[in-house]
Amino acid sequence: MSSNNKKWFSLNLSNRKKEQSSSCSCGNTSGQCASQQTPEVIDNEQNKDGFEQVFDVTMDRRTAFKKLTASLMIGAGAVSTSCSVISSDESKEKAQIDWEEQFKGNYRLMTDEEKQATVERLVRSYQLRTGKTINMSSKNAEENVLFGYAFNISKCQGYMDCVNACVEENNQDRNSQMQYIRIHEMKEGNGFNFGEADDNYYHEVPAEGHFYMGTQCFHCDNPPCTKVCPVKATWKEDDGLVVIDYDWCIGCRYCMAACPYDGRRFNWSQPEVPEEEINKNQHYLGNRMRKKGVMEKCTFCVQRSRAGKNPACVEACPTGARIFGNLLDPDSTIRWVLENKKVFRLKEDLGTEPKFWYFMD
Amino acid sequence: MINKYKYILLLGCSLILISLLFSCKSHHEDEYHNIVDKIEAKSTLYNGTSISSEAYIEPNTIEITEGEHTFLIPERKSQITSYACTECHAKPLGELQDSTKYKKAHWNIKLKHANAHTMNCVTCHNSADMDNLKSLTGEAIDFNRSYNLCSQCHTQQFKDWKGGAHGKRIGGWAPPRASLTCVNCHNPHQPQIKSKWPVRYNTQKEIERD
Repeated sequence: MSSNNKKWFSLNLSNRKKEQSSSCSCGNTSGQCASQQTPEVIDNEQNKDGFEQVFDVTMDRRTAFKKLTASLMIGAGAVSTSCSVISSDESKEKAQIDWEEQFKGNYRLMTDEEKQATVERLVRSYQLRTGKTINMSSKNAEENVLFGYAFNISKCQGYMDCVNACVEENNQDRNSQMQYIRIHEMKEGNGFNFGEADDNYYHEVPAEGHFYMGTQCFHCDNPPCTKVCPVKATWKEDDGLVVIDYDWCIGCRYCMAACPYDGRRFNWSQPEVPEEEINKNQHYLGNRMRKKGVMEKCTFCVQRSRAGKNPACVEACPTGARIFGNLLDPDSTIRWVLENKKVFRLKEDLGTEPKFWYFMD
Repeated sequence: MINKYKYILLLGCSLILISLLFSCKSHHEDEYHNIVDKIEAKSTLYNGTSISSEAYIEPNTIEITEGEHTFLIPERKSQITSYACTECHAKPLGELQDSTKYKKAHWNIKLKHANAHTMNCVTCHNSADMDNLKSLTGEAIDFNRSYNLCSQCHTQQFKDWKGGAHGKRIGGWAPPRASLTCVNCHNPHQPQIKSKWPVRYNTQKEIERD
């Protein structure tokens, strides 16, 4: 885990063993120490912000030049517009916003004021570009809330209303038909056989001898996707939502590979939503407009759930197969389901602890 | 003397070891073994949240308490087109049953619920008291609380509905809870829900699959 792990073979000509340097206080040099190094790194990062977060890291020359060039372009733009007498106030403001956005830090490390500021910048930027006003929230996780989801396999009939609602609510790319939810049509008596399931049926539903189940991001309590992110652009919030900072994501898709549930989606092209269909009630970590080359996924509709609403899929489902709520509230319906129905989760043996349970009538 | 030093050394070493053990333990991200343990432990300290779903609940609801569950359901009577029934049915039903004298009423209602041995109109409706439903033992049931009628036979569904596993929640996830009642989804005269076409078809995925 440390710098000793060389990827190449080197001859030890001096015949002297290098002393293993251990950064852990417990003196344990084996793999056990890996977990203890992480907090230190985070502590370091917390002191950095904006410019420092971008530049005060070890990087190779190529990356440094790339970042410098990009920043210089924006800087040059900002300088030329702000000094120019011809350019309007609006373009000066736009340059100012671009400058600040270029050097903004990781959302997770921002203070509440910084979160508010970045959200306001994005709203203003959208206004300057399109002339339309959106509403973007930076609401944090509420105390005493842990979101959980239950899915009734006996009730789902495969109507796909959830998918439509999700696409509209979360401003998903219409061209590539990006969808967070998949509904699998499965043959009764064969168990969960995802290989033989039909995800793209088009006939009257429910079909004879079949049952339907939906999958999406399960918001694991022990998410493998957040651990593999090399830039910490994805993490688990205190209310259990696994979220992505789209502006910090570099699009390496490690998280997509790490997810055992096919929960994550990648923007292969510039996502496009017709202007009149854009949902203007947005959250920084939720349904704000994404760009090409970043990951996205279900956020349990963070813009809705943190305001007390049900996610769009729950609201749209005409069968009541989808149940959402606060796992910490002993009187919530989700808790009643977990305590009174025979619930199970997918791939429980992986220890990912998904907060998404299935049950039957 | 040497023994004493040894003793002190041993004590010191063990102290360091213990402190290291604890410092290593405190580094762990989560002290819970699994999510169920976490939920159980954290919900003992639960004392409500500031989030409420009150704003999203339609105004026309009534509060019901069944067993240990108290929640809101949509009010029904105002949604029935020709309620109150007695506005038309001034005479007792017995006098209207001569089909030579009167036209057939409610011709659009066909009963497809259980079979003729089990149910007919008067299993639920009372010819003597049209404005109320009636239980199997003849007691009046308010139209707003028609779930009491359904629950006479569908006990498991009733139990699940009370708990929140059956039926659709409306408003939001936070308290107060509001759920649809039986007749908001099921037509009581033909409770079976018909099959229909899914609302979307993924052309893109179809192309990718071929």
